[in-house]
Amino acid sequence: MTRTLTFLGLESSCDDTAAAVVRMEETGPRILASVVAGQTALHAPYGGVVPEIAARAHAEKLDLCVEEALAEAGVTLADLDGVAVTAGPGLIGGVMSGVMCAKGIAAGAGLPLVGVNHLAGHALTPQLTEGLAFPYLLLLVSGGHCQFLIAHGPEEFTRLGGTIDDAPGEAFDKTAKLLGLPQPGGPAVEAEAMSGDPKAVHFPRPLLDRPGCDMSFSGLKTALLRARDAEVAEHGGLRRQARRDLCAGFQAAVTDVLAEKSRRALREYLAHAPEHPAFAVAGGVAANATIRARLEQVAAEVGATFAAPPLKLCTDNAAMIAYAGIARFETGAQDGMDLSARPRWPLDRSAPAMLGSGKKGAKA
Amino acid sequence: MPAEGYVLGFDTSAAHCAAALLHAGRPVAERREEMSKGQAERLMPLLEELLACAGIGWHDLAAIGVGTGPGNFTGVRISVAAARGLALSLGIPAIGVSTLEAQAEGLPRPVTVVEDARRGEVYLQSFTADGASEPALLPLTELPPGIAGHALTGSAAALAYAEVQAGEIVEPAMPLAEAIARIAARRAGTPQPRPAPLYLRSADAAPPSDPPPVILD
Repeated sequence: MTRTLTFLGLESSCDDTAAAVVRMEETGPRILASVVAGQTALHAPYGGVVPEIAARAHAEKLDLCVEEALAEAGVTLADLDGVAVTAGPGLIGGVMSGVMCAKGIAAGAGLPLVGVNHLAGHALTPQLTEGLAFPYLLLLVSGGHCQFLIAHGPEEFTRLGGTIDDAPGEAFDKTAKLLGLPQPGGPAVEAEAMSGDPKAVHFPRPLLDRPGCDMSFSGLKTALLRARDAEVAEHGGLRRQARRDLCAGFQAAVTDVLAEKSRRALREYLAHAPEHPAFAVAGGVAANATIRARLEQVAAEVGATFAAPPLKLCTDNAAMIAYAGIARFETGAQDGMDLSARPRWPLDRSAPAMLGSGKKGAKA
Repeated sequence: MPAEGYVLGFDTSAAHCAAALLHAGRPVAERREEMSKGQAERLMPLLEELLACAGIGWHDLAAIGVGTGPGNFTGVRISVAAARGLALSLGIPAIGVSTLEAQAEGLPRPVTVVEDARRGEVYLQSFTADGASEPALLPLTELPPGIAGHALTGSAAALAYAEVQAGEIVEPAMPLAEAIARIAARRAGTPQPRPAPLYLRSADAAPPSDPPPVILD
């Protein structure tokens, strides 16, 4: 019998400051509170997340989010069994603020501290929300990450492949910026694409001609820039319909790449003969209706259950960190007051590095 | 009323981990370790060692004083975030103390604290019988003339002395963390804002250089 465990979670690895309280009961996990304070407005003038601005906001917001989450959950620190915190990978200034705040809370409250890999938080979310059984295939696709993982257990992941350059969410943001659309780019580009012709402008399908599950998205941005500049040169500006077509063409290319690579990842996953085959997507890009529908179709083709957690648990949040912390804690893991914040921390340490294989180690 | 019990002060705003413990206004334990990195890993164990050395635990603290800089951005955040977490869990105030103010603690007025801010600039604040000036980030070549008769202290005191050619260079009256704890102890009796880093220098982010295209209707 598993005993009831209640954990506080803290997340600050990118541009969302978040705190949550999750309770593991005999019947399964329950989110008692999940507070997310975004920073979109702070970064909007810069066309992307500025690490120092993010870190400054996290440092002065984390404890407020924790207080709000505790109040919303109707618990005090005395009701908790532990504190879980994102210890990487991510923007180091923010991660460090979160880790230090968590240490202060854990030390003062006499609670165990558990450092959580942010990617594990995303990867375990389908368990938290859908109760998916291991092993399942996960596509994590967000502004900072893009990878296929087989989740075998709470701390056991196999990475089948991922992006070798930009993450799709980043590519959506850059597309929006190049086309004069607002940030965050995902929803803005999707809305434009609805009334655009995806075939009006041809976009490449990077790496589809190569075997495996690795992806590349930076070339799409270059193709978009060229097409935009050609349009501007010809007409002295960007016509609204041309902008819609560019958005539709870009989105179609991203969708095709994700769908085909998902097919390949599913083949590799199904070779493990899972009893209940399941394909889950997590990350903000999973909110794109076109992409989501195509991935759902790919899962249906091979008879795998398709799962996409609700959007607020797909994007960065602390409930997933609290849940992953409970999962780690249940395996007997716990960290000391010397817990490090790590900018780089691949989930699957056996897979060769995709990004940044320098002396600082693999980024993903 | 100042805090009568134990007050812990700590700082990681530069290449060190420093902490001091006061009891009834008197220093009872102090630690300072020089390090250019690793403060995030070292700070909490060092604080626990300091408390253990005085034979007390976290719950014996009445207030916390934390160095808010100016200084290394990441270093300042390490201490401020930890202090805010501790304040939340212990239910005691955490009080932010600028390292400029801390360095002037216990020194005769007038005194000007000048800290090296690199790039030819300094962080500067003057303390006179009338009070303190606003802390500022200034080019070393544009020091306020009013500091000419002041005692100078801080890591850039010698640089400032070479510029103004007046006054004298003095050493701080006490270790930095002790000064932070003393100032925090004095303020602990009145409501204080949560500690926040004193950056003085902006985040150094520039808006994108390439303008968006002209949209044609």
